[in-house]
Formats: sequence, C-alpha cells, structure tokens
Amino acid sequence: MGRFVKRYWMFLALAVLLVYPLLYRAPYYHVLGFNTLLVATAATGWNILGGYTGYKSLGHSAFFGINAYLVAIAANKLGWDPLWSAPLLALVVASVALVLGWIMARAKGSAFVIATIAMLLIFRLLALNLKSVTGGAPGLSQPLAPWSPELSRMPFYYYMLFWLVVALLVSRYIRRSRFGLGLLAIRDDEGKANMVGVNTTLSKVLAFSASAYFIALGGGIWSYAQTHIAPIFAFNILNDVDTVLATMLGGLGTVWGPVLGAFILIPAADYILFKFGASQFHLAVFGVLMVAIILFLPRGILPSLRDRLAARRETSSAFAGARSMEEISDDRAADQLEVGEPYPP
Amino acid sequence: MSVVLRTEGISKHFGGIVAVDSCTVEVQEGSITGLIGPNGSGKTTLFNLITGVYRPDEGSVLVLGRPATGLEPHQICHLGLSRTFQITRLFWDLTVLENMIVPVRKVGLRPLFGPGMLGSEVERALDLLERVGLTHLKDEPAAKLSFGQQKLLEFSAILMSDPDVVLLDEPAGGVNPTMIRFIMDLIRGLNKEGVTFLVVEHNMSMIMELSDHVIVMDQGRTIAEGPPADVQENPLVLEAYLGS
Amino acid sequence: MSFPSINVLIQVIVIGLLTGGVYAVMVSGLTLIFGVMKIINIAHAAFMVLSAYFAYWLFSGFGIDPILSMVAIVPVFFLIGKVTQHRILAPVGDDPGLLVLLTFALAITLEGVLGSISGSTFRTVRTGYTSSIVPVQLGSDLTLRLPVVRLTGFVASFVVLGVLWLMLNRSSLGRAIRATIQNSEAAQLVGVNISRVRSTTFGIGLASVAIGGALFSLIFSFNGSSHVEWISKMLAIIVLGGLGSLPGALIAALILGVAEAVSAVTMTTYISPIVFYLILFLTLILRPQGLMGAKVREG
Repeated sequence: MGRFVKRYWMFLALAVLLVYPLLYRAPYYHVLGFNTLLVATAATGWNILGGYTGYKSLGHSAFFGINAYLVAIAANKLGWDPLWSAPLLALVVASVALVLGWIMARAKGSAFVIATIAMLLIFRLLALNLKSVTGGAPGLSQPLAPWSPELSRMPFYYYMLFWLVVALLVSRYIRRSRFGLGLLAIRDDEGKANMVGVNTTLSKVLAFSASAYFIALGGGIWSYAQTHIAPIFAFNILNDVDTVLATMLGGLGTVWGPVLGAFILIPAADYILFKFGASQFHLAVFGVLMVAIILFLPRGILPSLRDRLAARRETSSAFAGARSMEEISDDRAADQLEVGEPYPP
Repeated sequence: MSVVLRTEGISKHFGGIVAVDSCTVEVQEGSITGLIGPNGSGKTTLFNLITGVYRPDEGSVLVLGRPATGLEPHQICHLGLSRTFQITRLFWDLTVLENMIVPVRKVGLRPLFGPGMLGSEVERALDLLERVGLTHLKDEPAAKLSFGQQKLLEFSAILMSDPDVVLLDEPAGGVNPTMIRFIMDLIRGLNKEGVTFLVVEHNMSMIMELSDHVIVMDQGRTIAEGPPADVQENPLVLEAYLGS
Repeated sequence: MSFPSINVLIQVIVIGLLTGGVYAVMVSGLTLIFGVMKIINIAHAAFMVLSAYFAYWLFSGFGIDPILSMVAIVPVFFLIGKVTQHRILAPVGDDPGLLVLLTFALAITLEGVLGSISGSTFRTVRTGYTSSIVPVQLGSDLTLRLPVVRLTGFVASFVVLGVLWLMLNRSSLGRAIRATIQNSEAAQLVGVNISRVRSTTFGIGLASVAIGGALFSLIFSFNGSSHVEWISKMLAIIVLGGLGSLPGALIAALILGVAEAVSAVTMTTYISPIVFYLILFLTLILRPQGLMGAKVREG
C-alpha cells in the first residue's frame, strides 16, 4: 500500500512540475522554478555525503563554482555548448573531488566541516586572483543561450528538472545498494564499520565525489543560465547553507527529503528576500529559521512524519490487529534498503 | 596444529604509560584461548593492536600466517579475523537484519554496487539470528533491543563475515547466568565448526570452563600461560590479581 | 615578490607580533569553548563584530573609549554566552555537524541584524591616539615605529591571557573547567556540574571575545559581513595551536600574526588570506591535533 501511494504522489508531482512553466508564464516564475530545482538537485547530491554518510560538508559549493567557471571558460575558449559540457565537465570536477575527498577523509567531525569551509574559501580566492583565467572579481561572461529571449529560463528549467530526476534515481539507487548500507554504517559508527570490513575511506571518498558531481552539474547549468558569473556568487557559502538547510528541513538521509526541503525552502526564502531583502535582514530571518529547524525538527519533516505514522499504526494494530509489523516495515523498506531480489525463488 | 594468530614482541605506549610491553602471544588453530588479567593489564589494548585500531610502536602481528601489522581494521577483517567490543557496538539506527548484512569478508565491485542484500546473505543472516533467537526482531532498530539481545546481535553479526578467528572482549560482561550459559554453548558450537576464539573475560569460572588454553597478562606483559588448571594454581597469577 | 630591507622586515615582524597578541585574545575564548564542549563556535567572529559595533556606538554616541566601555560590555557578553549555551546549544546534544550548523546560523543571524541596523558601511573607532606612534630606538640606525593602538592591544592581551591563565590554574572554577576538558565523564563523577561548567565557559568565551572586539574596533575596520573573513583566521589559529590549548593558541596567534604581516609586504595583499586558509586546511588534514593537541586514532 505504501509503495503504491508513493508512486502515485511521485507521478503527480512530476506532472505538476512539467506543466508549471506553461501555466505560470512570467519569467519570475521560471527563475524561481529553476532555482528551486537547482537547490533540489544540489541537496539530493549533498545528501549522499551529508545524509547517508553523515559527513556534513559546508564547502561543497566549491564544486558548484568550479564547474560554473569550467563551463563558462569552455564556452568561451572552445565553443563548447554548455548543455552537454555541464554534465561532462562535472565528471572532471568529480574526479578532482576524488582527490580532495581522499585528502580530507582523514578529518572527522568538526575538523572535516571546517576543512570543507577552508576548501571553499581557497577556491574563491583562487577565482579572485587567477585573473587571466577567471576574470578576477568582476567575473566572466559567456555567450547567451541560442533560444529566443521570450522562452527565457524555461529551457533551463526543463533541463534542470531532467537532471533532478537523474539525481533522485542515483540517490535512490545508492540508498538501496550495498554501498549505501556501508555509508549508513559509517554514519552510525565509522570505527565499527571499518572493523567489520567496510572500506570506510573508499566509501567516503566515493560519496564525497558523487555529491560533488551533482553540485557541480548544477553549477554548470547555473553558469549557462546566468550568462555572467562572478566569484562572490559562484563561491558563496550561502549556496551551501541553502543546500544543507533544505536537506535538513526535508529529512537528512532520506531520498526525498532534500527535494521536499528545497521545494519549501526556496520559495519561502524568495518571499523573505522580497519582503526584507533591501537590507541584510533576510539573513537574520534565515539564521533564525535555521536555528528553529535545528532545535525543533532536527531530523527533518519526512522522518518525523514517518515516525508519527508508524506510532499511530502501532497503537491501532494493538487494538484492531489490522496492520502487521511486516506492513510497517515494508513502508520503511520502501525508502530504505532494497532486498536485491526477493529471497531466492 | 597451526598458529592462526601471533603477536611478536608487540608494544604500545601512550605518552608515558606502557600499555602493552613486548608481548608475544600465540593462538592455536581450533582452540578457545582465554586471555585474563587484572584491570589495566593491557588486554583490550592488545585487541586493539591486533585489529589495527592502534599501530604498534614495536613488534608485529600475524593473522593466519599473513602479516597484519599496521593494516587498517577492515583489511584485517578481510584476512579472517573479527572482534566484539567490551561495550557493545552496533549500528544503532539500522535494523537487526541490516546490522547482520553490513559485515563483509570479500569486497569486489559486484557486492559493492549490487543490490542491498543478496538473497543468500539474508538467508544466512536469518539462520544466525535463529540460532540466537532474534529472528522475530529482524526489522527492529538495534537501539530497541535489550542489553542481552544487543550482545547476541553483535556476536552474530561479526560471524557474517565468516571469520576464522574471533576475538571476544568480555562476552559475559553484565549478563545474567542463563545468558552466560547460552553464550558459552554458542562459542563451543562455533568452535566445533572450526572457529578459533580468543576470549577476554573477567568471569573466572566461565573462562576456566571454556578455554583449552589460558594466557595471563599483567601490566602489559604476559606472565603465565597454559591449561586452565595450571594457570589457576600459578602463584604469579594470584599475585597479579591480589596485588603484593 | 619583492623583498624588503632588514629594517623594514624587523618592523614588520614586530607589528606582526603585536597584532598576534590581539589575535590571541580573540581566539582564546574559541579554543576554550572547543576544549570544554567540543563545539566549534562559528559565531565567535560574529560576536566579536557585535562587540566592536557596541564599542563603536558607545564611542561615536558618547565618546567613551572602547578600552573603558569594555568594562560594561564584558559582563553583558558573559551573560549572553551563558544563556545561549544553556538554551540554544545544550538542547541539541552532541552531534558536531549539527552544532557547527547551529553556531553558523547564529553567525548569520547576527550578520543580518547588524547589517540591517548599520548597513554595509565600514566602521572603525578613531580615537585621539589612533594615529599615534611610539618610536622605539633599537641600535643606531633602527627605530621601530609602533602604533599605539597595536601596542595597547598587545598589552591588553597579556593582561587578558594572564587573567585567563590564573583563572584556569588557580581557581576552583578553573579546576572544574580543566577537569571537564580532560574527561567530562570523570569530572561528573567527582561532582563537577558539567552543564554549569559548559555555560560558564561559553560565557567566558564570549566575554573574552568582547574584549577582543573592543581592541579590534580600534585597529581594524568592519561591517556586518566581516565575521566571515575573521572566523577563518580564528579557526586557522586555534587549529594550528591545537584545539583546546590556550598556550597553543597564543603561539599560533603570534606565528600567524607574523606570517600574515610578512607575506603582506613580500607578496600582494590578496594572497595573504590564502596563507591562512591553506595553513588551516593543511593542519586539519595532516595534523588535526594541531601543534599541541593529543593524537587520537579512531577505533
């Protein structure tokens, strides 16, 4: 029952997302939609390292910025169409992330978080200083998209939606795989995971790189959509804040949590910016929101909902014997580990 | 009879304290070897050295004849050695079944990227859970289990990686007498199936009844070893426990 | 890269040392907080900026010198620290990732509030002695020109660090704090009220950064967003010095103060922030325990 309901919601949501830009034609809505999908994709990617593995990076937007620049430079110098260079160059970035991840795998807990922040800041400084390559502080422009300006952000929106679906499929696949189980074990007790045979370093590095891929991918598409990029926007810790907050709001470590969180957070943030953005006050609102989420909803919406539902079902089954433990665990299983094939025939 | 586990002159110090001092220990294949000693004698540190948690300052470790000094814990697990902890360590957020599936002896690309649980693995896990009476709890988060159930789960889970040598760190700690009997039967049963055990325990009667061979440590060194009866009579051992 | 003369170099090194002293005050609270609670207080620099703003407002509004207004600001910050730890940080528990995010959230809240009150204009406190120099004669052809504000900062930092040291090593509170740093479980067993120690330590941490902020307001210019730049420096210092080690923090602060000053004259000023971040990054990776921390291998 649980699985069927889930599928139904998924298709409904997809349908809504597909028609959204056609129903709401003003460019403002397209931009909002694009930004929401962008953060949803980034958050889904981030969740692989931050949610499944428990290593919460506050600097992964470095990869966003790196690919943003790679795509722009490739468009300018090599004439590469960003539509295919964004996913391709993101692979290059993910490879770099393999190395960086390996370097940073030794750091744990708070040391890791700070190292990621340092990494972001280093890349930002590099972007500011390697002026011949990046154009320095004023930034870099690339050719406009070839379609008519009336379409504005709509094609970007659909392209981003496509990649969001891909990201979700990958995230779901990882979650249900043996690799994903290893990541969850690492999150729970890394030393113990190591002790029982999980190659924790390799797993962490792969998770680090997989996260980097989707964040970088978003950066490449964003770069194309923006046309003009600058270090202050490409390497901005607030990008990480969006990603992390969305994931935490929706549910750290669940497949759909980051998407749910992004869909709530980004429109809300946009509204807040609209109301309070003239000064810096929106930052204060953001900060307070973050504090509130961490204090009152630390696991996020989805896990809290799930717990409530499970608790309710358990009490009702005590009286009516209606739902069995198996059905409840089936529901959890839907989002959790997949038994490869059902037990052998 | 071959030696499945050997430490040679292994030492470890922390700052000024010598936790393990030039320890040479041998565990025979198919045996149940007890490791006893007063608190602070270095037993757990020795375990940590063998399993790769600490790097020895001196000396070496050989697991099933293969050099294991300085290897990562997961590599040592792949060699065929597993261990439990004094304070039970489980993946608390994962279910009982998931806890069983995590341990792995061989890692290739297929198990790594394949489906979460292979049917064969689940079968094996359920078998082991059956043996300790935990099958009905297979989908419960490990945190929900009682203390005794958690210990049994930890023990069963490490068996999933099919170890040849198992290190048990106080398997009877804080556990009621019936459960102690149960654990002892479990150990004996597995031992008959070919698993070698090295057991640290404070429960003297359990160790003496269970072990073929006992090693005694004090202040980081081995001070005596032999069959349980001999060790029990050894004046050095009594002195170590009672102090002088 | 241009290499200056030896006289200029000595001057620069001394200035670096003076500035390093002020840095030491700024980070002393941060490293103490980590030692006791294992929390990386990302909001530390934001609180420093808040204190700097208070100093600025009291000076521009009432003409009170920051060194004097400190007297009022410090207890306020102590209280804010206690309450913040007790009400906001403690309930969240132990997860270092969550705690970092929480303190980060506090930082941007402060940034937002300060930014909306004061805008993005850079502020600084210019007193009568801001531009004064104390000339120090060293030998026949070298006269060091030491800015009064940095000299004052350096002296103040000695006082503050001295007080902190005395408190830690001679008072019963200090003993409780040190016990908690070493082993909080054991400390609890001997009767230390851990939650009190934690909130008091956070209070002390913010109190010391309040002093840091007052000194900071005399030497540097700042706006609501400055905390980002400064927290990285602070983190680099305490990581290098060993998280939780007060003497380590002092040594690292002096080293980095000098390194920053020297690299500013030998390379372009753009590069010197990279120096901080690289040091931070490399230390975290290669020697996470810093210069003076204890080595632990996960098990």
